[in-house]
Amino acid sequence: MLGLSITNVSKVWNPDGPDPVPAVTNLTLDVKPGEFVVLLGPSGCGKSSLLYIVAGLEDATSGTVTFDGLPVKEPSPERGLIFQEAALFPWLSVRDNVGFGLSIKGGQPGARAEKIDKLLRMVGLGGAGDKRPDELSGGMRQRAALARALAMDPKVLLMDEPFAALDIQTRARMQDHLLAIWRASGASVLLVTHSIDEALALADRIVVFTARPGQIKAEISIDAPRPRDLRGPEMIDLARRCEALLAEEVTKAFQEQELL
Amino acid sequence: MSDNSLPASASLRRKSPGVARWLPLAKSIGWASLSIGLFVAFWEFAWWRGWANPLLLPPPHIFLANLTEQFRFFDPNGERIGALSEGGSFFSVLGVIGWSSLRVFLGLLIGFVASVIVGVAIRYFGIFGKLTLPLITMLAPISPVAWLPVAIFVFGIGNPPAIFLVFISIFFVMVLATLAQIDAVPRHYIQLARVMGASKRQIFLRVILPAILPGLFVTLRMNLFGAWMVVLIAEAVGVGSGLGQVTMMARNTFNASLVFFTMTLIGLTGFLFDQALRLIQRKVLWWIQPSNIGAL
Repeated sequence: MLGLSITNVSKVWNPDGPDPVPAVTNLTLDVKPGEFVVLLGPSGCGKSSLLYIVAGLEDATSGTVTFDGLPVKEPSPERGLIFQEAALFPWLSVRDNVGFGLSIKGGQPGARAEKIDKLLRMVGLGGAGDKRPDELSGGMRQRAALARALAMDPKVLLMDEPFAALDIQTRARMQDHLLAIWRASGASVLLVTHSIDEALALADRIVVFTARPGQIKAEISIDAPRPRDLRGPEMIDLARRCEALLAEEVTKAFQEQELL
Repeated sequence: MSDNSLPASASLRRKSPGVARWLPLAKSIGWASLSIGLFVAFWEFAWWRGWANPLLLPPPHIFLANLTEQFRFFDPNGERIGALSEGGSFFSVLGVIGWSSLRVFLGLLIGFVASVIVGVAIRYFGIFGKLTLPLITMLAPISPVAWLPVAIFVFGIGNPPAIFLVFISIFFVMVLATLAQIDAVPRHYIQLARVMGASKRQIFLRVILPAILPGLFVTLRMNLFGAWMVVLIAEAVGVGSGLGQVTMMARNTFNASLVFFTMTLIGLTGFLFDQALRLIQRKVLWWIQPSNIGAL
């Protein structure tokens, strides 16, 4: 089967310790090729843990993850990863950061440089290739991180609250940017967020998580064409639904914390 | 420096890049001169008032007065402690400074390389770490001076014990610093490199090493002065040449002028060493903003 397939996955952190922490329980989710799926849930609900498992950086305690029919055992360039902070290497120029994965892969330097140029232009950093990462703004850094992930021609982009550290205006621009890139690349996206607006603006399908341990509480498909008017009646209805679903979980999470 | 006699304002600096570049340097040189000048002035004043005995605390105008007289005590090939020797020229002074500097330089170089290798090995090979880390942690707090007899037992008299002492003075600290730096490498750097297909070796060479070098270099610079102290002790006790030996000889012959002259040389040399390390730091570790430890 093509695409990403998560079946009955559970993850317990520190399973043999005195205080095991269940992060995800019995979770099943498929992401079709080219689909944009947003995981929405309260903080600390195990969304990020799931992303790490899909990336191949962590093993699931039980259950299976397959990608294009093959089990995920280790990280792979076809599953690109983007964190909340860009995590560009400060000792490399923006251009070398974007080309890091390509240089690991090897190949013709000329072709590599051409590809880097193309990617930099694509994310709107055409003139910033020779800058140091710390000379860029937060939004520019995150776009460079996006270009770095795209350089590997990923089949799926895994994004862990990628725009949470940006201001609201930059955020909206970055979301438009991401949608354009997503359409052009044909990759699927699995994006974690706790922002309902972000989920509504981006997703083909919103997967709402319960409080920890994370389980799927609801799935909401959105067919409305993008760009979406979040103030339109349809979107406001959806936002209310999401809010209601999340509110229950946030209450639960708080109660649990008070018990501790 | 500039043919412009207008006071330096922000707008002027923007207009003339030459001034913008040189003004900060000129300012810091000015402050450094003032800082040293005030100290010298106070000392001279104390001498003039008769508070400072010129035999015990000769002020700069005395110990810097007769340089050729002072130079006579500097013998780069000196094996004969105490006596006036073949020294006497400016070059023999440079030779003595050169010997001390060489010992510091070699000790630092060997210490830096060895400690990074050992530190990395501890983190990469679990058994090696378990076998060596307790020992290293136990040896770390022992003062390099306590190693002096050991150095002389093992290496005898000459350059090796001095270099060994410098090595010892930074090795344990730098091993522990290497461990701390490795542990502080952001996990996301390594995870991203893994996702992009980097092998363990590539992750080490292209992610971990560049990530830990700046911090290690700062540690090296902070231990530079310690290394200078140690090399002087080693030279005073038993190498037979170098600035430490001259200081010891000056003490034994009750030559206060020579003591202060040598101290001045030691201070200047240490300062130049630090500047050289800063320059290397700027050129090699270009992505790090220069830190502000020390003057200039």
